[in-house]
Amino acid sequence: MSESTRPAVPLLELRDATTIFGSGAQETVANDHVSLAMAEAPPRLLSIVGESGSGKTTAARTLLGLQKPTGGQALWRGKDIYALPKRDMHAFRSEIQAVFQDPYGIFNPFYKINRVFDLTIKKFNLASSRQDREGLIEDALRVVNLRPPDVLGRYPHQLSGGERQRVMLARAYLMKPKLIVADEAISMLDVAVRAVIMNILLDFKEQAGMSTVFITHDLSAAHYLGGDIMVMRRGQVVETGTVDRVLQAPEHPYTRLLLDSIPSPDPDERWQDDVAAIARLEEEAGVAERDVVTTA
Amino acid sequence: MAITGKDETMTDTSTASPKPATQPAPARPTAPTGAPLLEIQDLAIHFRSARGVARVVDGTTLTIHQNEIVGVAGESGSGKTTLVEAILQIIRFPNRETHGSVMFTPRSGPKIDLMKTNERQMRRLRLNEIAYVPQGSMNSLNPVARVGDQIVDGMVDHGLGKREARDRVPGILERVGLEQRVAKLYPHELSGGMKQRVIIAIAISMNPSLIIADEPTTALDVNVQRKILATLSKLRDDLNVAIMIVSHDLPVHAQLVDRIAVMYAGQIVEAGDIRSTVKLPLHPYARGLMNAIPSIGKPRERLEGIKGATPSPLSWPPGCRFHNRCPHVMDVCQTTPPILAAAEPGDRDTGDGIVLVQPGREVACHLYLESTPKEARPQ
Amino acid sequence: MVFVNLYRESGKFRLGAVITLILIVIGVLRTPLLNLAVGDTDPMAVGSFGIFLDPTRDHLLGTDRFGRDVLGLVLIALPVSLTVAFLAGALSTVLGVVVGFVSGYKGGRVDSVLRTLTDMFIVIPTLPLIIILAANTRNLSSLKLALVLAAFSWPFAARVIRSQVLSLRERPYVELSKMTNLSDREIIVGDILPNMAPYVAIGFAQASVGSAFALVGLTVIGLGPSSQMDLGRMISEALGYGVISLGKELIFVVPVALLILLFLGLALISQGMEEFFNPRLRSQA
Repeated sequence: MSESTRPAVPLLELRDATTIFGSGAQETVANDHVSLAMAEAPPRLLSIVGESGSGKTTAARTLLGLQKPTGGQALWRGKDIYALPKRDMHAFRSEIQAVFQDPYGIFNPFYKINRVFDLTIKKFNLASSRQDREGLIEDALRVVNLRPPDVLGRYPHQLSGGERQRVMLARAYLMKPKLIVADEAISMLDVAVRAVIMNILLDFKEQAGMSTVFITHDLSAAHYLGGDIMVMRRGQVVETGTVDRVLQAPEHPYTRLLLDSIPSPDPDERWQDDVAAIARLEEEAGVAERDVVTTA
Repeated sequence: MAITGKDETMTDTSTASPKPATQPAPARPTAPTGAPLLEIQDLAIHFRSARGVARVVDGTTLTIHQNEIVGVAGESGSGKTTLVEAILQIIRFPNRETHGSVMFTPRSGPKIDLMKTNERQMRRLRLNEIAYVPQGSMNSLNPVARVGDQIVDGMVDHGLGKREARDRVPGILERVGLEQRVAKLYPHELSGGMKQRVIIAIAISMNPSLIIADEPTTALDVNVQRKILATLSKLRDDLNVAIMIVSHDLPVHAQLVDRIAVMYAGQIVEAGDIRSTVKLPLHPYARGLMNAIPSIGKPRERLEGIKGATPSPLSWPPGCRFHNRCPHVMDVCQTTPPILAAAEPGDRDTGDGIVLVQPGREVACHLYLESTPKEARPQ
Repeated sequence: MVFVNLYRESGKFRLGAVITLILIVIGVLRTPLLNLAVGDTDPMAVGSFGIFLDPTRDHLLGTDRFGRDVLGLVLIALPVSLTVAFLAGALSTVLGVVVGFVSGYKGGRVDSVLRTLTDMFIVIPTLPLIIILAANTRNLSSLKLALVLAAFSWPFAARVIRSQVLSLRERPYVELSKMTNLSDREIIVGDILPNMAPYVAIGFAQASVGSAFALVGLTVIGLGPSSQMDLGRMISEALGYGVISLGKELIFVVPVALLILLFLGLALISQGMEEFFNPRLRSQA
């Protein structure tokens, strides 16, 4: 990406966003001066990678306007997301959409699947007639490879996790947002359907010009998506760059630890180190377990 | 660069990360050498409810030998957790039917069928002979009791004197790689990985001959997962214990187990030693699973995953239960259920090309079965 | 839809619902049934028939000390007990839902005030207080009684509802509704209220059981509405005249059995619902 192609004001931006939960002894710094910027064009994929407690989900929620940072700024087109007037809020929501982690909890069990589409269309004035509405929904479902009769008129529990997550992507697609924040969107899915979800995000970028901020703990997923990566550890960003560069030549010991700890699917590449050796690597990476293991 | 971040350690050196120290899985014989410890024979667990009969586990045969690590792989809805709960006799669903047997050979005494034990017999077996690490159990530690006391409690429950149980704690902690002072801590003072190791410590406290662990590494960070795998692997060598690992994560199996059984729709569709199964999965479902894993080492190419979704146990498809998702479906698959059996060795058309099937592979797929008429298979 | 599944899957709920429904039907059909039992005679009128008659074709359950037909008495007593129980249950549920909802959704200061109020009501020793109130109230009607009973049983419902709202408020689908720009009101009405239905129903069943109990407690010791016959008063009178020692057990046994059926029915409904809706108790498939 060259500097000249980027407009001056990014679409979505965190500037030294800091979020502290609790106070006193209970205080947890979930985000510590996290900064990132996503331009409107060209569309781009950014994976935020980190383990539990790294602050990646807090960063995602801050971007989505769901978690006000205690310090720093979260900006949409240069405006503070947490002080948007109603009209701007509407535009912000239609440009920045989300896919969440839990494909089960995201549906209100009381309603049929149609409700998520109907509400979205109604609230964002996407269709003026019944035909328009049905056409939109069918289009969106086709993009995520779902047949309308398999989904519409059914209750959430009648769908598999992968189908539900695709419904969520179709819902986002209805609005043609500029950017989708996908928070651990594949972690609760079966292995066999994870690639399907990632492929849809890749297609969104190629065919519809939508960017994705992909939150994951899984470096191989980030590798699969390509684009850029941002590695977080205990609330801080420790390494950023293109996925190819970071995964081939990680600079931070923590990135190296993560990379080395992905189990290889090849039984001929089994780890040989013992628990103590791994603990030493963790210490080097600054993520030693609270009570360091020395025996074994 | 569009991304910036507070970064105190970024340097200019672009040294490639040293390749982690890996080596091939120890060359264990393809066929297990130990005596059979747990023999699951044609086990079926059916749940009856107002919506019909859910055949959650349906004709499963699997043997675990002494000192062997066996992996059961499968996705949600494959029945793997119910299989484990059936072995341990802890299924809570009241309206159930059980067929088949699970023969267990205790260290002393005759073989018993776990499906026919009463609660008293089962209680004696649990922890003493068969230890269980349930999914997510690290969050089930008693929050108001010290770790050491919780390990002692388990042993006292199973008939050990309090003093003797206390004396064993240091050795047990060491086995799972925990410092001695952890015994004095409360669960909330431990990280997730340490809690998981406390659970494993409780599991091994009575020296069982079999440990059954359901998704023991799921929801753990990768480096912590790696330590749990190292711990389990070491336990097998130190304690002469057999381990049954249930996990949806094939790479976890590749790192740990000797043999693997792949479950789909309540049945085992493929079983064999880990190396040949992972390197050359025969069943189209197993192959689909392997091919769905993105791998960092390999060039980036589009993965397709497996189309469709796992069917409901209330209405498995007729014939082969995978036929409506299978890329190589044949006519015979839609009518005749394939039964898990030895694959016919030799050159076989797998649908993706010709492969040489070695002897000793078990698969439930018409592409490989001798019992399937030749004319029904691809020429 | 949810309740259809509940009916199909929970044997307890089914049994409870059938029992309760039968009692309600008897209560609703009281006039025609009375006609069959005692014809035009006022069932409360003293001396209509002979005293302490044994059960016959004319008097299926016999008569009492005042020559009243026992079946006739039961037929007017049962609806009174049911009405008070359900009325008090409904009032207490409505009050509890409103307080619990406002408390849970608004949070902050409102929540603190309402919670303190709720806790205060919970620690009040209810039965002695109701006894004192009932003993000092003239012309106690069943409506007034229901009001009094409700005034002391709503805090339990409020507590349950509040904690449910707190948990529902954090559900991912509420987050999704926020992403879809739904207003607070739309989220409460569309997302939270429908999912509260089971808890409201459980609360109602429990409050009704509680009220029925309290009512019997009052009337058995003779503090119920003086103008009306209910099951508790029947028991109280039966005990007072020593019917058991006279060998006329039916006068005592019938109202007791009906009350037990009412408690059983409501308790089974509430238990069935709790097991069905509470995922921890619910056995998984």
